Amino acid sequence: MLTQFKVILPSLVIVLCMIGTVAIATATPAASQNQIAQVKTVSGQVKVERGGGQTSPKPGDLLFEKDTIVTGADGSIGITFIDNTVMSAGPNSEISLEQFTFDSSNFNGSMLTELRKGTLSMVSGDVARSSPGAMKVRTPAATLGVRGTRFVVEAMGNQ
Amino acid sequence: MITLRWATLLLVLGSLGGCAQKQQELFVVLPNPDGTSGAITVSEGPNSVVLDRPYAAEEVKGDKLEPTTSDSAQVQQLFGDALAAQPILPAHFRLYFVLDKDVMTTESQQQYKNVFLDIKRRPVYQVEVIGYTDTLGEQPYNQQLSLKRAATLRDELVRDGLNPDSITIAGRGELDPAVPTGPHVAEPRNRRVEITVR
Repeated sequence: MLTQFKVILPSLVIVLCMIGTVAIATATPAASQNQIAQVKTVSGQVKVERGGGQTSPKPGDLLFEKDTIVTGADGSIGITFIDNTVMSAGPNSEISLEQFTFDSSNFNGSMLTELRKGTLSMVSGDVARSSPGAMKVRTPAATLGVRGTRFVVEAMGNQ
Repeated sequence: MITLRWATLLLVLGSLGGCAQKQQELFVVLPNPDGTSGAITVSEGPNSVVLDRPYAAEEVKGDKLEPTTSDSAQVQQLFGDALAAQPILPAHFRLYFVLDKDVMTTESQQQYKNVFLDIKRRPVYQVEVIGYTDTLGEQPYNQQLSLKRAATLRDELVRDGLNPDSITIAGRGELDPAVPTGPHVAEPRNRRVEITVR
């Protein structure tokens, strides 16, 4: 009886672990990707578009490369990237986190943020320090190269 | 009556003119808390402009990049909502350890409170703790010691009520010293943990 229990228990643990792994894999659409930022503040209507789906972000949520943030007429959001870049957006804005890489052991990385329309405020972090041209912001009309600073951008977009 | 109609028409034309003049894009460098600033390069087609002073600004009108002026009142008016949504800025701390131990120096034990309070005031947080050693002792031992120092700090933060899932730790041994030294040198400033809070 005891021997039987000893055999059953480990197999049960293995099966439970497998179920757990599958559950986690399906619950996280971006499981294969690394987080690049965390949502810190949200106000009014804000959506995050990811791989064809849409979520309502809340403080603590993680963001991934290629996520697009869309704010409504009363919406604003603040996020902090893993390289300590801080970004926030005002109402009626659309921002795509086009590209982001960062190696925390040597502080090297690069990022491209796209402001399609609206207002954007940024305080640069480690990526901007890593090399000239590593941090870029693109708007419908222009491209910004950022060297260690705070700045704001407004774009009317293609209306 | 006719005069009034003409006045209305002129007013309408005037505001239409205003719309055509409206800028399409605006870029403004903001000052750091100490009054200095870094720089941004604005490129539009073959044109490129460097903005490297607080409130230095450039705008795109039609498809032309043009210099413009800005100040704190204008920035507040146009970007007030975005700036109000700005998260608390990340903070960096350094705490020191007793020779060959994973115990903080008396001074750093005092300083620890500031670290804890800084994390605590953030509604959500991510904390990275990286441990280091000086170059006394052998590398594998120092690697272990540096990780223990990081773990000590993590354990203290968790004991004080912070979320363990939001704290990551790593040990880098004698790599990346704060004060570069030769091998087998006791250097108190290298016996440390670096903490990033965001």
